[in-house]
Amino acid sequence: MIGIRDLRYRSLDIPGLTLDPGTTAVIGPNGSGKTTFLELCAGVAAPDSGTVTIDGERPCDTTIGWVCEFPDRNMIFSRVSDELASPLRFRHDDCREVVMQVEKMAENLGISSLLTRDIKGLSGGEKVLVSLATALVAAPHLLIMDETDSHLDQTTLERIREYLSRHMPPYILYCTQDMDAAASADHLLVFGGGRVADQGTPDAVFERLRDTCFHPPARRFF
Amino acid sequence: MRLCLQELHLRRGSWELACTAGFRDGVHFVSGNVGSGKTTLSMLCAGLILPESGRVMTSGISTRALSFQFPEYHVTGSTIGKEIASWGLQAETVLENAGIGAGEGDDPLTLSRGELKRLELACIFSAEPDLLILDEPFSSLDCAGKHRLCHWIEERERGITILFSHERSVLPDVDCLWEMEGGRLTSLGKTAGAIPHWKDAPHYISTALEMGADLVNISLKSVEEAVCRIRD
Repeated sequence: MIGIRDLRYRSLDIPGLTLDPGTTAVIGPNGSGKTTFLELCAGVAAPDSGTVTIDGERPCDTTIGWVCEFPDRNMIFSRVSDELASPLRFRHDDCREVVMQVEKMAENLGISSLLTRDIKGLSGGEKVLVSLATALVAAPHLLIMDETDSHLDQTTLERIREYLSRHMPPYILYCTQDMDAAASADHLLVFGGGRVADQGTPDAVFERLRDTCFHPPARRFF
Repeated sequence: MRLCLQELHLRRGSWELACTAGFRDGVHFVSGNVGSGKTTLSMLCAGLILPESGRVMTSGISTRALSFQFPEYHVTGSTIGKEIASWGLQAETVLENAGIGAGEGDDPLTLSRGELKRLELACIFSAEPDLLILDEPFSSLDCAGKHRLCHWIEERERGITILFSHERSVLPDVDCLWEMEGGRLTSLGKTAGAIPHWKDAPHYISTALEMGADLVNISLKSVEEAVCRIRD
């Protein structure tokens, strides 16, 4: 499980939280601390106090795929294929195996045609797909996506869902402003003012949010 | 006012954009998949890139603004107050409209992405440009921010607004629907008659159509009510 104890960082204050394996969606207003929470779980930020553990390990000792809300901020190579290969090359995987894995991942996410492209020339949505493919190529134990869906169309999101249903990492943690997407998670966290304001199954939480704009359109209409 | 795209052509590697279109006063919604050319077209409309051939012509448009998909790369002020001042606007009013708790002296890059988007959109709408181009303006906004943005779009009294978006849950009332696919722009016409032919329609609309709803002579806002009546 993901365990959080006495966590404090900037405006974030979480005395205790445990998340079981599966998918956890994080929702809440702009500025409520969602991204900060994901950064701490990903290990890209260290808390002022408290701990985050994933199956007993620190984030830095776990294979984590991290898709940043600013998709090209984390990119270090100029060519798409080099960026996608980087997690495998950094751990010194066999060169031929790397090429094979990169091509396979690109095909799975429908971005084979981008492999020889320069990242600077990609559209926003294409950058997100490259970032997601890079996060997934090393088969992470925990996949974290920070509003990845806000840059993608429905067809592309379906392709990603289909891929993840076949290659599900043990943990997926994602924040979203698409409440229909949040409703498909196993567990839901609601952030407000740097704290976990509510949590539970999507059915239970969204029932409590019935009279707010956070209630999913699909549940409102059908 | 009028914006005319006359036989625009632009090639990037094996991908090419080619379109001819005319936009009059009102709100135009352009949908399309990732890589279909929406951002490239938005930059052509804004005059930030030039086509290899063809012309972008305007009539009656003296001011134009483009809201970028990633505003974090276009911040020019070291404080929120300076950023707002760079638009020639009063900080107090803009901050109130943006609905963010930060102060004038704060660094804009310490805002969350959604908050920065709110700030940038509040500045752009306060500037009241004749031609307003919005590239994925809903991305990162929470539901309150999305509703506020819809209100701003609908309240524009004049000018041309072109909205490029994947948004699926909160939509403003728009006058015309367009679809972008493989670098080609297709006009679906006035919203009232275009909804049944809208391939990129949000899930609740496509589901209602599949259920046999007759969504003609209806605005996007009224669709929500119609869908609720079908359900009940």
